[in-house]
Order: sequence, then structure tokens, then C-alpha cells
Amino acid sequence: MIECNNLTHHYGEKLVFENLNFQVKEGSILGLLGKNGTGKTTTFNILNGFLQPTGGQCLVFGEDTQHLSPQTKSRIGFLIEGHIQYSFMNIHQIEKFYSGFYPRWKPAAYWELISKLNVPPGQKISNMSCGQRSQVALGLILAQNSDLLILDDFSMGLDPGYRHLFIDYLREYAKAENKTIFTTSHIIQDMERLIDDVLIIDFNKVLVQSTVGEFRSNFRRFDFELENDETDLKNERFIVNIEKVKNKVELYTYSSESEVKRYLDDKHILVSNFTQVKMELEDAFIGLTGKY
Amino acid sequence: MWKSVFYKEWLKIRWFIIGYTLLGILGIGYLFLALKHSFAFTGGKNVWNTVLFQGYQFYGLFKFVPLAGGLTIAVAQYLPETINKRLKLTFHLPLAGNRALLLMQAFGAGSLLVSFLIFFGLVAGFSLIYFPIQMVTDGVITILPWLLAGFAAYFMVALVVLEPNRIFRLCYSLVGGFFLTIYFTSAGTAAYAPANSGLFILTALLSIAFVFSAYRFRKGEM
Repeated sequence: MIECNNLTHHYGEKLVFENLNFQVKEGSILGLLGKNGTGKTTTFNILNGFLQPTGGQCLVFGEDTQHLSPQTKSRIGFLIEGHIQYSFMNIHQIEKFYSGFYPRWKPAAYWELISKLNVPPGQKISNMSCGQRSQVALGLILAQNSDLLILDDFSMGLDPGYRHLFIDYLREYAKAENKTIFTTSHIIQDMERLIDDVLIIDFNKVLVQSTVGEFRSNFRRFDFELENDETDLKNERFIVNIEKVKNKVELYTYSSESEVKRYLDDKHILVSNFTQVKMELEDAFIGLTGKY
Repeated sequence: MWKSVFYKEWLKIRWFIIGYTLLGILGIGYLFLALKHSFAFTGGKNVWNTVLFQGYQFYGLFKFVPLAGGLTIAVAQYLPETINKRLKLTFHLPLAGNRALLLMQAFGAGSLLVSFLIFFGLVAGFSLIYFPIQMVTDGVITILPWLLAGFAAYFMVALVVLEPNRIFRLCYSLVGGFFLTIYFTSAGTAAYAPANSGLFILTALLSIAFVFSAYRFRKGEM
């Protein structure tokens, strides 16, 4: 459904990413994770044709995103970072406006969500809270009944209640209607509730593209204390990342517990309190990309 | 789809265009009350004398009204599109990007045209009560570049407001400011008679300039 090949982008002389390759399969809910500045919004802008990449190409439904036809655009629902919408309209006006563009428009999907907001019929969007605006934006996307939903930082500015409402509604909808979602959020716990697959990018490269389950089971964290706190483990190839404070070590790796223990034994590195720590997606993400 | 685009533009500019048109009509009413006053207290001969031989333009107060209208409507229409880069919403609509832009502009320029036609009709119509057709025709020729300046200002502001780069915006503003002075170079009655058709073509050409700013926005210029 989405295919990006050798995607490269620079802002001036600053390289954002180089030769980025990924695909989003039909029916999947894929989350794009990356630290600030790794190019998540840049990727979304390229996908929607708002930015011309320096190199490479993205295809959506087989069309180059730089030249999307109106028919293809009607199959893509796009949530702009911050739930941006036409705030000079009220909830009726905005529904009337968008309904004129989409032949498969489902007003019930919009009004069902809006009914949860308890706002008067003439409520202007500019006078709504961020959470209410998010529901309007989501309602419009659901009513559009598109095949692909691209959601840029959907949890931005939302309190936990609205975040959960947004996610639960969206996941239920996507699964029931076999929709494809490509999304990003800074709140990884939210992403974990929503997504099936994860794409993690770091500066210039893709670190992981797999299911969330596979990533969480294959990527491991081991905590232990070194007898000699000057022991240096950083340059070992099997170690993806290591966080060390005095003699306390957090080691992140794709290797198994027995492989790590064997390595420590072979190198005569004495450790105590060796434990494997269960990680949520957020812990795994930080473990993979480092704490800045 | 064009109906939906027009609906959005109407929601943005409706109070501005209605308010502007009403103010313009009030202004024209004031002009003709003043003219009626002059006829009553100084006599028709004197008024005709000042209009014919001293170059007095009783509609002179109207000179910058179309310009103000063009600026106001363009700002009301295009500024909301740039706040939080809402123009992305327009470009994401299932509609060719340039078509969406041209429909937006057609609505804005069309609304201005309706206002200007009302003003034009009122000024010409009231003038015919007091002056012969030849004098009214001269007045119309004089007013025409002012009306064209209103459209030119509207197109220029669209070009400036949609431009994503500040330096470019400043340059366009400066060029636009100088460009608009072309429409106000001479104050003489009917002085623009030989130039009006040229000004019309120039203004029409200016109408597509904002597509370039929107193109730069779409390519991610900053």
C-alpha cells in the first residue's frame, strides 16, 4: 500500500535520512517511531506530497506521492500533527464541507463520535479544547471512509482520556473495516495499544521493521552489577546499546540470556544480580535508540 | 466539489465582504449626499464648472476603497490557510491542487467583483441624475484603474501570504507595493483612457502568480 525506496532528504545541508526503505502492507497498523529530528513528520509530508524528497521515491497505491491523483487522495485519510482543521468552521459546517468531496462519506461515523463531546450544534472548532478538536479530526477521517489512514502524532496535546478514546475507536474501526494505518506518536504507550507493526528509525537509517510482538520478544534487556566498574563492554558487536552508571549496567541486545552469560564467562567478567528485565515497547525503543 | 470549495471560502470571507460592501454603499451614499448638498447650496452651474474645468472629482473619496477591499478580502481568505499550514488540508482534498487554488481565487475575486459592480453601478447611476452621459463616461474611465487596483491588491496579497519563505514574502511585498502605484499614477479625469486595456491585461496576468507561491509551499520550501 505504501512503498518508499531509497528515500533521502536534506534540509539545506543537514541530512535528515538517507536511503530509507520501508513498506506498509494492506490491513496493517504500522507505527513509525523515532527520536525528535529523525524525520517522522518529514516522511509523512513526503507521503502526502507536501515535500519533495532530495532523492528516492514513495509510492502510495502505486502512485508517486509527488503526483497523487484526486482518486488516490480520496482513498487516504490524513491527520495533520496537532489535529489541525478549519477552526473557523463549526461542527456542522465542517461536516458539510468535507462530505462534498468524498463519494463514500459516512456521516454516521462522524456524528457518533461528535455526540460523545456534548457540545452545542453551533460550536466553533476554534473554541474547542484540544481533545475535542482531536475527536472532530478523527470523526472526519472515519466518515471519509478511506482505505489508508496516515496519522501524524495523533496523541499530541491530548489528555489520557481522549488518547484512549481516540485509540480504542480507531483500532476498533480499522480492524472492523480492514483499514491500513500508518502513524506516529511521541507517546509510545499509546502506540503500543494501537499498532501491530513497528518501524523504528534513527538518524539516517531504519533500525527495526517487524511486528511489535517479534520486536519485544527478540530484543532483550539484561541488568547486572559489575565487580569491576571499569570494565568496558561498549565495543562488543552483539551489544546494541549499553547504559552504565558506576557498576550498574543495562545491556540491550538481540542475543539470548545464555549467549550473554557465556560471553561474560569467556571474558572473565565477574557480575552479580544478573536478571533479564521485561520491557514494554517504550523501554525497548529507548534501549534501542539510547537516552540521547 | 466546487460547491464545497466555495462554501469554505464563503465561511471565511462572508462577514468581511458583507461589511465591506455595506460600508462602501454608505460611503457612496455620503458622496452623493455631499453632491446634492453642493447642488442645493452652490448651484448646479458652479458644480459643473468645477467638475468640467477645474478637474474636481466628486467621487475622489472612492479612490482607495477598491484597494482596501482587495487587501481585506485577500487577507481574510488566505491568512487562515497559512495558520498552522492549513493549506495542507486543501492540497489533500481529492482535487488537483491548482484547481482547488483557482476555485478559491475565483470565489474571492468573484465576491470582490460583485461588490465592485454594486459600487460601480451606484456611482454611475447616481451620477447620471446630475451629469450627462459624456461626463459620467469620463468618471467611469477614471474609476476603472482604481477597481483594477483592488483586484491587483487581492492577487498580490495571495502571492505574499501563501509564500512560505519570509525573504521572498518581503520581496513580493515591496514589488507589489511599487506595482500598485501604477494604478494611481495620474489623478486626472479619464487620464487612464489609453492605458486601461493594458492595465486590465496586467491585472489578469497577475491573477495566476499565487500558484507559484503555492507550488513552493507544496515542495516544502521554508
